[in-house]
Amino acid sequence: MADDIRRLSEELARDPASPVYLQLGEALRRGGQLDLALKVALRGLERHPHEADAHDLLARIAVDRGELERAFDEWDMVRRIAPAHLGARKGMGYVLFKQGRYSEAQTYLSEASELDGEDETVATALAMVRVKLREGAGGAESADSDHGIQRPQRAERPQRHQASSLFDEINETGEHTALLLDATGLVMAGTYLTQDGRDVAQEVGAELSGVSDEARRAMRHLGLGNWSSLTVETDAAVVAMAPMRDDALLLVAASKAMPLGLVHRVLDRCVERANGWLGEGAR
Amino acid sequence: MKTNLTPILSALTRQRGVRGSLLVDETDGVIIDATMHVGMKGPAFAALAASLYRKARLSAEAAGLGGVTFVRLRATEGHVCTAGKNEMVLVIVADVHANIGLIRMEMLKALERLTI
Repeated sequence: MADDIRRLSEELARDPASPVYLQLGEALRRGGQLDLALKVALRGLERHPHEADAHDLLARIAVDRGELERAFDEWDMVRRIAPAHLGARKGMGYVLFKQGRYSEAQTYLSEASELDGEDETVATALAMVRVKLREGAGGAESADSDHGIQRPQRAERPQRHQASSLFDEINETGEHTALLLDATGLVMAGTYLTQDGRDVAQEVGAELSGVSDEARRAMRHLGLGNWSSLTVETDAAVVAMAPMRDDALLLVAASKAMPLGLVHRVLDRCVERANGWLGEGAR
Repeated sequence: MKTNLTPILSALTRQRGVRGSLLVDETDGVIIDATMHVGMKGPAFAALAASLYRKARLSAEAAGLGGVTFVRLRATEGHVCTAGKNEMVLVIVADVHANIGLIRMEMLKALERLTI
């Protein structure tokens, strides 16, 4: 990564008009150097004000900086410059989802889906939005939400009645889904949505929870200590599981496109969230 | 006793942190061939790892996730990795600090070369 950044910086220094600023800005963003990434993107925009990808980059940097309103505006600009830009629709849908403006998010995500019906992240995000709308969350949208996107963020720690949305903040990109199952394989929290928006958490949980029994049994006999995670790669997905207190099980399912290391990071974050939630319930 | 599978399993066992490589019949959990470090409980690993792989495969199919390509069990003192083909399961038992990314890649390559 550092080598890439150095190489791209040198290339841009040699030719300041080069479009390489897009790659450099993205590399800096991914590396968490957001101030530098912003500087590179803004300088690039000075030279290429009508470059849709430059506005797209700026929007993604803005999201990482927590500036959702700015991100929305930049993606809106992208949409005006390049009406068929998929990333702009996804981004605007994402911002609106984060703001709890589900019906508007649905509009943009539906447009994204029309642009690319094969995009799994769009399908999953759209399914999540529809579930929210069905749950009545859409009805809670305030009248003033149309005048800005500064809405109160969701409480950091979900309450008991928010079991289905326990992992939503971790799953904000829609690339994975998480379930918390009890010792009998029944769903305690989370959702597992198919691309058509059906929640099949109960079915998937029931089928996969037996695997953890097998893992526990194996560990008892093999002397390798306690099991800490089990990852199953399949033709369609990657499923990672981790044991929880009282023989409960945390399960994360992700697209095959998601790097395995990232799946485990997500699993760790979900375990942490679920532990907090279970502890809250025990108090 | 050496078989034509032994070189493939030996190459896997030479990977850093690997304690043993076993090729196991998925249905009955019996060892087809294996190369292991001294003291490793081969038959127990074979039976339990094959059973775990089988359970994962059947559960994933039932949950609509398709066929299983790789299963990794991480424990506090080691890893058990399995990959299957034609009712055979390739099993690797490795130390906790082993490079699982490399082992996974080598296992999937080895599986392509396995024929009986």
